[in-house]
Amino acid sequence: MGAVMWIEVMSRHGDAVSRQRIEAEEATIGRAFDNDVVVDDPHVAPHHLRISRGEDGELVAEDLGTLNGLYREQGRDRTQRLPLAGEPGIRIGRTILRVHDARHPVAGERLMTPPVAHARWAAGLGVVLLAVLVALEWLSVTAEPTANLLLLPLLGFITVLAVWTSFWAMLSRIFFGQARFALQLRIAVTACIALLAWEQAAESLSFSFAWRDMAEYAGLGAWAVLAAACWAHLHAIGPRHMRAAMGLVAALLIAGAALQYLGKSESRRLFGQRATLGDLRPPAFRLVPLASADDFFQKTASAKKQVDLARTREPAGGGILSDMDLSD
Amino acid sequence: MTFASRALTALLFAASISTATAQPAVKPAAPAVPETQQPPLSSAAERVYEFSKPRILQVRTLLQAAGRQSSLGSGFVVTADGLAITNYHVVSQYALDPKTYRLEYLAPDGTKGILELLAIDVAHDLAVVKVDHPDLPFFQFDPRALSGTLPKGERIYAMGNPLDLGFTIIEGTYNGLVDKSYDEHIHFSGAINPGMSGGPVAGNDFRIVGVNVAKRLDGEQVGFLVPARFAAELIERARKGPALSVDKAREEVGRQLDSWQAAFYETLKGQGFRSGSFGPYRGLESSAPWVTCWGATNADQIPKPRTAINTTRCSSATGIFVSDKILTGRVDLSYSYYKAIDLNAFQFAKELSQRTWNWEGSAAKRLTEQECRDDFVMAGTGSRPALRATWCMRAYREFEGLYNVTLLALTQDRSREALLAQLSMQGVSYANAVALGRRFLEAIEWAQ
Repeated sequence: MGAVMWIEVMSRHGDAVSRQRIEAEEATIGRAFDNDVVVDDPHVAPHHLRISRGEDGELVAEDLGTLNGLYREQGRDRTQRLPLAGEPGIRIGRTILRVHDARHPVAGERLMTPPVAHARWAAGLGVVLLAVLVALEWLSVTAEPTANLLLLPLLGFITVLAVWTSFWAMLSRIFFGQARFALQLRIAVTACIALLAWEQAAESLSFSFAWRDMAEYAGLGAWAVLAAACWAHLHAIGPRHMRAAMGLVAALLIAGAALQYLGKSESRRLFGQRATLGDLRPPAFRLVPLASADDFFQKTASAKKQVDLARTREPAGGGILSDMDLSD
Repeated sequence: MTFASRALTALLFAASISTATAQPAVKPAAPAVPETQQPPLSSAAERVYEFSKPRILQVRTLLQAAGRQSSLGSGFVVTADGLAITNYHVVSQYALDPKTYRLEYLAPDGTKGILELLAIDVAHDLAVVKVDHPDLPFFQFDPRALSGTLPKGERIYAMGNPLDLGFTIIEGTYNGLVDKSYDEHIHFSGAINPGMSGGPVAGNDFRIVGVNVAKRLDGEQVGFLVPARFAAELIERARKGPALSVDKAREEVGRQLDSWQAAFYETLKGQGFRSGSFGPYRGLESSAPWVTCWGATNADQIPKPRTAINTTRCSSATGIFVSDKILTGRVDLSYSYYKAIDLNAFQFAKELSQRTWNWEGSAAKRLTEQECRDDFVMAGTGSRPALRATWCMRAYREFEGLYNVTLLALTQDRSREALLAQLSMQGVSYANAVALGRRFLEAIEWAQ
């Protein structure tokens, strides 16, 4: 009949360590050297497993009477017989094997983005990012602008970016086999641009709408951008363990954002709001109509209500500054 | 807490803008010579101290539980039934927190006893206490001081127990009432030190002219006394009015602060306002003689500034001691005109953002945390600059209806020049704060 099967021994990271073509109807797997596939695992029996074809012609794995038994790759139930159609992964001892019929379908060809394209994108976006950074720096310089003043912050920024990208490239090298530095850099630079855009938008809109809380809690949006960046980095490394990794990242980010929120509201409770006009923009940035004095003092009445309410609460304790009164 | 930091002399005028505000302490070329045969000065002081010795006290605030002294001041007996005058700030800890503290006196002859708090006058920083010791000799008030006819240059003697070093007498000169001051204070040219607060100041005839209360930190021998008139009035009140219940002293302080601010803002309004000019803008200024203004510029700064800043700061220089953490009753108005020299609109906005930093706002034992409201405002009618305004306020926890308010306003009509105006009011009612705040916003206009 000429049916062909492939037996792959997998590494712990999910790559095939060895792959054997079997042209017989049956194959045996075990530690002994008379098997078709030999596995070096002390928890595997000398003759552990037989792969054969069932009546429908599909592959079936069969335990040959062992101590440690036969499992699905992710399963917990020991079985005597496992049909392998559609689910090629099995576990014996500490070894993971995959058995494929030659007729098993494979995923279609993926279009390859050549590394040089990623590199070009990364370089292009990087130039944009640096230009934006310099421009922002320049727009906020109020002293005599010097090259040092403008460029020194860039150095720090580039260093952080390089360390961040290298970290992801290293993970990619470990789990995917290739560093793909250009791709990771492209993702990192894109994320930086998004972060900057978010920060500027939040600050500008906070001014435009005279909405103080927006600037105060803009940090929470930054965490979302960071989460998206981590997702993109992980996705580039590969889809394996994506859900677990993303879960971990999401948990970390939510914890970070929650901590920041708590810190903010705590400091608001302890220190109140500052008597400042906030981060100002040129007058043309105003987006709300001018309020009349009556409107404004209606608004201040709500501040009065709030401090009157605060009077009835116990003073907030703790914190080094809470005991200081800087009113004079 | 060490004794030195707690010994009290209110330092009311501690940080004013310039030392030039200090009036020179001019001593008369010749000592004041009354008509009768005048003994040498030192023996006059000797006689005054000899007379005063059984009549002066050290007023001690002690921790109820530990019995240790927490703050020290002075006082003096003015009636046969043992009523004595001291400063409110000497007894403020006890008045605000009678469960934690108690009051005691120590006489120069070493006798000790309990003091009872009978009346307070927060606005003039006075208190009446009763000594638990009958038949004490007492001081009398100088009728010339009560009617304000004491001649400038008269030699007077301040007494008290400075820094707990022992009872002391200090010669100085009467220099009339302080000019440009809302609160009536006698300018005393002589050394007043912490611990002497509440002590008597008497003339050669042993009669009371005033009560030690404060000194200027930025001057030499510039002391302040509460005029005897207010002490005499408070004694009358303590005698006739209902006795102060110590548990209600806090409410009484609140009531007095409230009526002080009501009278103050009424007087401020009565004195009138004028429009000051700041570059191309105009803003509210007070015509009251006791609101003094100082100007500052950054024109001579090196390296050459990129924004020209001209600032005018005006202050009522009023101050009411409520507790060691609250000094209230002050109004400040400041205007800074900013003009970009070579900054663009964004850089100029950044410059302004950096200049509006203010740390105040943390919740404290006596004040709530700060709440702020922002908006773009067009106050009033007619053609005038739009404003970016911020209103921030904190409430006094113990005194209902009193607030500290800061109102900031920045003109929004030009991108490279602006007027930054700031009004701050301490210990003000909401209605008075809104009234002055509205006037302040409406007065920001273009100069013609």
